[in-house]
Amino acid sequence: MKTLKTLIVAALIVVAGFSANAQLTGTEIVEKAYNRETGDDQTSLLTMTLTNKQGKQRVRKISQFTKDFGDVEKSIMFFQSPADVKNTSFMSWSYDSDKNDDQWIYLPALKKTKRISSDSKSDYFMGSDFTYDDLGDRKLEADTHKLLREETVDGKDCFVVESVSNDEDYMYSKTITWIIKDSFIGYQKEFYDEDEDLLKVLSIKKYEEMSGIFVITNSEMKNVQKDHTTSMVLSDVEINTGVSASKFSERMMTRGM
Amino acid sequence: MKTRVIILMILGGFASHISMAQEVDVSGFVRTYEGVNIETGDFSIIQQTLNLNFEKRGEKVAFKANPMMYMYNSDSLSFNMREIYMDMYFENFDLRLGKQQIVWGKADGVFITDIISPLNLSEFLLPDFDEIRTGVIAAKLDYYVGNGTIEAIVIPQFTPITRPDENSIWYIQPDFPAPATFDWSKSTINPSLENTEIFLKYSAITSKIDFDLMGGYTWDDNPAMHVEKEFDMSSGNPVLTGLNITPQHHRLTIAGGSFSTEIKGLILRGEAAYYDGKYFQTEDPMAVDALIQKNYINYVFGLDFSIGGVKMSGQFIQKYILDYNDFMTENETLNTATFLARYDMLRETLHLELFSYIGLTDYDALIRPKITYDFDDSFSILLGGNVFVGDEVGQFGQYSDNTMIYAKVKYNF
Repeated sequence: MKTLKTLIVAALIVVAGFSANAQLTGTEIVEKAYNRETGDDQTSLLTMTLTNKQGKQRVRKISQFTKDFGDVEKSIMFFQSPADVKNTSFMSWSYDSDKNDDQWIYLPALKKTKRISSDSKSDYFMGSDFTYDDLGDRKLEADTHKLLREETVDGKDCFVVESVSNDEDYMYSKTITWIIKDSFIGYQKEFYDEDEDLLKVLSIKKYEEMSGIFVITNSEMKNVQKDHTTSMVLSDVEINTGVSASKFSERMMTRGM
Repeated sequence: MKTRVIILMILGGFASHISMAQEVDVSGFVRTYEGVNIETGDFSIIQQTLNLNFEKRGEKVAFKANPMMYMYNSDSLSFNMREIYMDMYFENFDLRLGKQQIVWGKADGVFITDIISPLNLSEFLLPDFDEIRTGVIAAKLDYYVGNGTIEAIVIPQFTPITRPDENSIWYIQPDFPAPATFDWSKSTINPSLENTEIFLKYSAITSKIDFDLMGGYTWDDNPAMHVEKEFDMSSGNPVLTGLNITPQHHRLTIAGGSFSTEIKGLILRGEAAYYDGKYFQTEDPMAVDALIQKNYINYVFGLDFSIGGVKMSGQFIQKYILDYNDFMTENETLNTATFLARYDMLRETLHLELFSYIGLTDYDALIRPKITYDFDDSFSILLGGNVFVGDEVGQFGQYSDNTMIYAKVKYNF
């Protein structure tokens, strides 16, 4: 009897969960994905491998730190390789409000910290297949989201949501994202160019649970039109270690890690 | 020659030994740079460069040594310890001691508040901006308050601008009305407490604006030319027969500041400084040593923007002499502009760039197109040109015979 009761309760929870999810709109699903718990701070080493259509590879290594300050998220990156960009650093302050991100770059050869425009979000990051916009936190209201369908990919139940930018000049005509139902991780994403042809596909190769938080540790962006890819692998990931607020300053940009 | 070979061998051996024994980080580049004068077909530069960076960073201390060697033509070796300093990190302040390059201000390619590390103009303004500055032996203290930094710099030994030597294609022979004799005995400043240079700056980066305010009690990098005239009175009328010229550096007090901010995706930058007590050349017959002391201001406004993936930047620069009089040989105002356009292609392996200085007072220019291709992450080739436009009156036009094309091949490690 006890077992039966347990099964019923379990079934109800599943059904309740399912029905709760089933009622979600495209906007609500994306909101949950955007607001997914990522911890108060995070430290990691990013290895970015650029592969062209001939199979030739170029590797970039970046140490990165992020910290959530409530209404602003600050991140800082220290470039480790290749040699010509070593000791370059990049800092970004991203706001919850409509305010544009503040961004600075420190160029060790020039010994100068320069404020740079955050308006060039369609620029590709270090020659990779990721634009600055792909890597940053996109605002929920920047797009109109529509739930297209639900389907299973690689054994994972996903919502499939189409997002169309409210800005006509945006670099993508639309994106379609497969969001895992139980974790709200964006598992796969397709980017369509201005002619509505498929341009890029982002695939999550691996995600891990650390300190109760899901972290994407291996992803790949493939440009299907030019047949080149960029893989991003996170290692040495640490979450909620109490990264100092002073890490996100000009002092650290010039001094290094 | 033997000494140079020994220096190279010691550095080479030292690099590998230190790197292995102390886990010192060694990086740098090797570069070959050849330029051809397009009028004469002569090689205007044949230069090989080895740049080494030894760095070790710890939690509390760090050091850096940056020896750099330039070999000109086939045998002229020039060794330069560009930087060698130690860092000490404390809770709220950092201290850097030693020979260092210090860069201030928000302007690009112009030097208004960026006056601490003097320029090496032996190849005019053509070297990369990271190579054009000369290191100064200094103590630099950075004290941190919130998002702001108070920076204090003490320089015990004055270093002047490096000028091209008389055999250089960048040397401009002064035009004197009579034979000139130079007395260089007063052109150096003895290192002493009294002769120390002092600079102070407060800078901050905020979500709205980055800014800094600076002041300096320094020496004028350019020596004033004290001129004594010799006359022959035998005919009854004075006839100028000779000039005794004594180059001498004088104290200069400077106050200024700079800012940069983002407005609707554009980066607006500005920088200005007030220079108190500079000596200018004058033709006033009543002036002592053909010099007059005046104050002047120098400022720049710049805008960085992007159109269709092309990153562009424009700057307007004006130098204005206060309380000007018509005897002065220099113009009351000197207006200059700069323009930069840069486009990266092929996943940032091909870079197209055009940088120009444009003289708005004398209608001259230096136009610098270049194209760089990165064969891989460590190896690149650059093809470029330095085109001088204008006549001999202008700061760029005076080099109109030196227009050149060049190639640089560089290996980073």
